Amino acid sequence: MTGLAIYLVFFLTVASIYAIVVLGLNLQWGYTGLFNAGIVGFYAVGAYGTAILAGPDRAALIGGFGLPFPLALFGGMVLSGIAALIVGLATLRLRGEYLAITTFGIAISIQLVALNFESLTGGANGLVGLPRPFADRFDDPDLYGLVFLAAMLATVGIIYLALEAVVRSPWGRLLNALREDEVAARALGKNIAAIRLQAFVLGCMLTGLAGGLYVGFIGFVSPLDFLPILTFQIWAMLIVGGSGNNAGALVGAVTVWGLWTMSGLLISRLVPVGFHAQAGAIQTMLIGLVIVSTLLFRPQGMIGERAGGARFGRSNAPPVAKDRNWSTGGGGQQP
Amino acid sequence: MIRQRLLACLAAATAIAAAQSAAAQDCTINIGAVLSITGPNAAIGSAIGDAGRLAVDHFNEAGGAAGCKLNFVLRDDQGQPNVGVDAAKTLVSIDRSPVILGAIASGVSLPILTSVSVPSKVTQISCCSSAPTFTELAEEGGTQGYFFRTLPTDRPQAVVMAKIAKEKGYGSVAIIYVNSDYGNAMAKNFTAAAEAQGIEVTDVVGYNQEQASYRAEVSAALKGKPDALFLVAFPADGATITREWLAFGGSKQLLLSNAMRAREYVEAVGAQHLTEAVGIDNAQTEGPSVEAFNAAWTAEKGSPPEGPGLHTMYDATAVALLALEKAGAPDGTAIRDAVREVTGGQGTTIYPGPEGFAKAKELIAAGEPITYEGATGPIKFDENGDVTGPYLIWGVADGELTTLDQWDMARVDAALAEVSGQ
Repeated sequence: MTGLAIYLVFFLTVASIYAIVVLGLNLQWGYTGLFNAGIVGFYAVGAYGTAILAGPDRAALIGGFGLPFPLALFGGMVLSGIAALIVGLATLRLRGEYLAITTFGIAISIQLVALNFESLTGGANGLVGLPRPFADRFDDPDLYGLVFLAAMLATVGIIYLALEAVVRSPWGRLLNALREDEVAARALGKNIAAIRLQAFVLGCMLTGLAGGLYVGFIGFVSPLDFLPILTFQIWAMLIVGGSGNNAGALVGAVTVWGLWTMSGLLISRLVPVGFHAQAGAIQTMLIGLVIVSTLLFRPQGMIGERAGGARFGRSNAPPVAKDRNWSTGGGGQQP
Repeated sequence: MIRQRLLACLAAATAIAAAQSAAAQDCTINIGAVLSITGPNAAIGSAIGDAGRLAVDHFNEAGGAAGCKLNFVLRDDQGQPNVGVDAAKTLVSIDRSPVILGAIASGVSLPILTSVSVPSKVTQISCCSSAPTFTELAEEGGTQGYFFRTLPTDRPQAVVMAKIAKEKGYGSVAIIYVNSDYGNAMAKNFTAAAEAQGIEVTDVVGYNQEQASYRAEVSAALKGKPDALFLVAFPADGATITREWLAFGGSKQLLLSNAMRAREYVEAVGAQHLTEAVGIDNAQTEGPSVEAFNAAWTAEKGSPPEGPGLHTMYDATAVALLALEKAGAPDGTAIRDAVREVTGGQGTTIYPGPEGFAKAKELIAAGEPITYEGATGPIKFDENGDVTGPYLIWGVADGELTTLDQWDMARVDAALAEVSGQ
């Protein structure tokens, strides 16, 4: 493989990890209208959960169960589900920005726990020596990368299809009803609290799964991986791609992550060596500029929410009225 | 819209491919570095990058390495592991850099090591990552020998400070440390070394960075009424803690870690309060090799090299390039093995600067052994890729930072042996 191809395999692997997180957030925000600003916290729970279950036994640590990777991954996912259940029960009666502030605070608390609970998480030093799944069966690191990517794409594909089925189901329409008009949904006799909790936990489990996959891919985990900026990156992916549309979530993950990383590559090519130190700042500005421009000129994202399409499938559902009230939802504007 | 985007991507890819083929014709080897140009370490990152570029420029003046010209490629990690890992991957797979220099934060260097350097068999040399986890990973075989660092680990520093506490006759010491990999390791190693010498460590208090006040931490550390305080902090937080410590009646006998050797810290606390304080820092001791670097930097930049990471980054780059020359080809594994051949004290001594590198090239061509003595003095990597370095002891007199004492490597080694022997 050429260097560029090897890099693209690597890039797409990381992008597909983020795609899973964005799909989870899309379920919460795009379909249900839950403003989760604590994504990175559940990502951390999944990552540490997987790392502790799969990691080698160490005298100084509580964890290190040395479980096979798929089992550890599943365990990490369940742990983030449990964390989400606890957080959800405590906070989901909050709405909008209140929920955002609370979840943001919880994510920071989780990162601080990771930083300070040394006997479990290794503290600031992180956990080293984590196994990369099945890496020992491959002599060629490039081939391993390709196989890992294939597994990731399959995982993303399955999750995408499952979510598409879910949001077209009666339960999915209920999520939308909740996002659009909670009072009306309650008037129809629906258990609002339970549905919000279900969507929240499901989305966070996907986030946790992605955290575990990240640990498997990198082979190391430390609190530095879970700074609040990641939450911002994930949100940028969803908004740029198109909130309320699973395909938009995928496109957004690849686009924003590509912008984030390849802008650096491009700048390192175009800027003379003497100015590389300044180029870093240019890159950061460029990222901000593109995201802001997208919001200004294409607020619905690259692939906006289809009018009814995503929810009612290709059935003969009546066209949705153009003057729906979008103020409560995350779908942006109709074109 | 999407078509335009695709076209833009295609254009970018073509530009990259074109640059790549152009590079091949001229025989240029890219030397990749991943540092924090933006993010929490931005204040020191770009100067560290300049130090790396200076070493590459010096080598180019001496005629390049492994028969090729060298091109320094600096990438920004934004202080984020995921961005740093991606940058390292592009350096290795697209730029074909046989070495990765960096990163600054241990939490960025380690994922680069485990997911890029080791799988791709590329030698990684860090200027600035001091976490003990690298040593742990190397002992388990996780680095496969591909990791080196030119910054001495925290342990010798902590041991030297414990020796000084003993010499000063402090019977009990409290520790306040920044809750990071660096602070943790310093606190742990100091505690072990101090207790080995019969000094009581009363309280070990960690603090989280960038708070307005540290009263709770200071009160906790004051509880045991210690003779002295060992403070492991960065200048701004360190000044806040010191002020509160003194205000609450803490001892003026302060032991300060390397990061606080900054005018900013002395001014914020007030020099008159620091007359009994002693601090430690990685020493750029005097000597011809250090002078050579300082002179070259001053000539290039117009001011002397002050700030963390400059000397160690220059050395990281110089060692990588000497090893590349010795290996004769841009091959990560050959470079890894050659690193030990160009350092470690056997052969003709090589100093920083174009003349030194030109001499090194001649000697390598003639098959003679060389040993690099760098901007931080002599360099010798142990089996885990760590170095032991010389230290200086600093204090404050007449409102200025002054150097009180020098610890060369022999003295540091003796202290280490003494503490672990007991």
